[in-house]
Amino acid sequence: MSQIELEPLTQGDAPEARKGRRSRTSVFWLSVPLVVIAALVFILPITGLLPEGGQDLSNTRLPPAFLDGGTWAHPLGTDKRGQDILTQLVTSGRLTIMIGLVGALVAIGPGVLIGLVAGYFRGWADKVISILIDAQLALPFILIALAIISNRGSSLPILFLVLALTGWAACARVTRSTTMAIRERQFVLGLRAVGASEARIVFRHVLPNLAGTIVALGTLQVGTAILVESALSFLGLGVVPPKSSWGSMLASGQDELSQAWWIAFFPGLAITVLVLLVNLLGDALLTHHDPRKRRR
Amino acid sequence: MTEPTKELLNVSGLSITARVGDRDLRLLEDVDLEIGRGEIVGVVGESGSGKTTLARAVVGLLEKNVRVGGGSISLSGDEIVAPGVDRTGKVRGTAVGMVFQDASRSLNPLMKVRAHLAEVLRRHVKEITKDEVERRSVEVLEQMRITDAARVLDSYPHQLSGGLRQRVAIGLAVVTRPSMVIADECTTALDVTTQTKVVGLFRTLVDELGIGLLFVTHDLMLASDLCDRIAVMNSGRVVEQGPAMEVLDRPREDYTQRLLAAIPTWT
Repeated sequence: MSQIELEPLTQGDAPEARKGRRSRTSVFWLSVPLVVIAALVFILPITGLLPEGGQDLSNTRLPPAFLDGGTWAHPLGTDKRGQDILTQLVTSGRLTIMIGLVGALVAIGPGVLIGLVAGYFRGWADKVISILIDAQLALPFILIALAIISNRGSSLPILFLVLALTGWAACARVTRSTTMAIRERQFVLGLRAVGASEARIVFRHVLPNLAGTIVALGTLQVGTAILVESALSFLGLGVVPPKSSWGSMLASGQDELSQAWWIAFFPGLAITVLVLLVNLLGDALLTHHDPRKRRR
Repeated sequence: MTEPTKELLNVSGLSITARVGDRDLRLLEDVDLEIGRGEIVGVVGESGSGKTTLARAVVGLLEKNVRVGGGSISLSGDEIVAPGVDRTGKVRGTAVGMVFQDASRSLNPLMKVRAHLAEVLRRHVKEITKDEVERRSVEVLEQMRITDAARVLDSYPHQLSGGLRQRVAIGLAVVTRPSMVIADECTTALDVTTQTKVVGLFRTLVDELGIGLLFVTHDLMLASDLCDRIAVMNSGRVVEQGPAMEVLDRPREDYTQRLLAAIPTWT
């Protein structure tokens, strides 16, 4: 049976509809490279296609294959120990992506919850939380990181603790102010008038209306987590050998920049591209989430 | 059987104060009001006269700094509001429904109409089944004279026209079959023709369901069209109360006369 459905498209709503469609396709087209990166990072190591990753002191600082002196045995060149850059990039990519995602979650989870409580219930809880946020934002991040890591040593759980401690305050502050705006909207009063419980209003109605903000915070925080990890690794406080991340690769390549720029360049490029894509995706999701901006 | 005169809501000597800084501000002073089943009572007055405070006091939606200083409100003989007493939680959404000024803002923009109705039904009707939710949702929309209930159920608030949205909001207020509905300036955001339709809808609902309606408005003409009785408020007091025609045709109070004189005429 064939049935043709005509879209009832009047002239009045046409521009809006087109805008919505653009947002949906941009979500799709931004997801594609992210999925490709994830697939490369997680699948490539098990295919056996990658060059050998071990040290090879006869082939140190080989340039990428497309430059003079490079070979296709090491497509992106080798570092000062003769380790293949592409292989390192792929294997450290796993840790980097994990740090980005978990690092964002540990900051956003508590941050959003705290901000929600402060913004919705106000009163003394809000006063206490606001003071804590201000205190947190007044402390320089690097100081907290140094204090914790020098005390506890550097490990992944400690790194996440640092990311959570430095990230929650900004999330809480943004969530708090957005929540304060939403709780004054009339539908919240309407919900009270039909007898909805406070918990239900907060979690079923206010929280979904915050989704746009949370997605935006989330993607920004993924980027921030990756950058913070890179900065810490650069200072030798983040990921330490034998583990490696893009940040630690960047750090190890930095003193070789004049002789072998590719050691630092490729992880740097990878970080830039990943963070940019995640931020653009966040933008697109923001538009996509709101049914008023979405095409039916 | 519902007797049109049987007492439903009884506000007596109600005084409400708000604490601003270290001063007490009187919002309502010694307000008396009665609404029977099947009766529409209009509360009119200018902005700040206490209309909305009165409406919200009945459902316990007052701000935190506001408290009841004296008097009481009772619904069907049970005292729900008195100094230090607040039993409005029990009637809110069940025995009393409320409709707000602007339906484009009183509905959650992220939820379809179906979800709005389902939420209220699930909250207030014990062990309601999915089919029953659906059936009553369609039923209440048809009661609102909405012909394509199926489409409206699957719409987000912004996809509906203003009049349709307000009818959904009214449906939301009556879906739990309350005995009393409070409409707070609920026609103000609508254009005049839609206003007329919504007002007509209220009249039929009150007659069909035998509910009592407290209709808060600043529009005297609208109130005279719809209401059986009218209470005129000024700075927190009810200055005049009586059958709609009587109040508008032969206003006794100076304030009511001035209110009426403020209505623009053609001449």
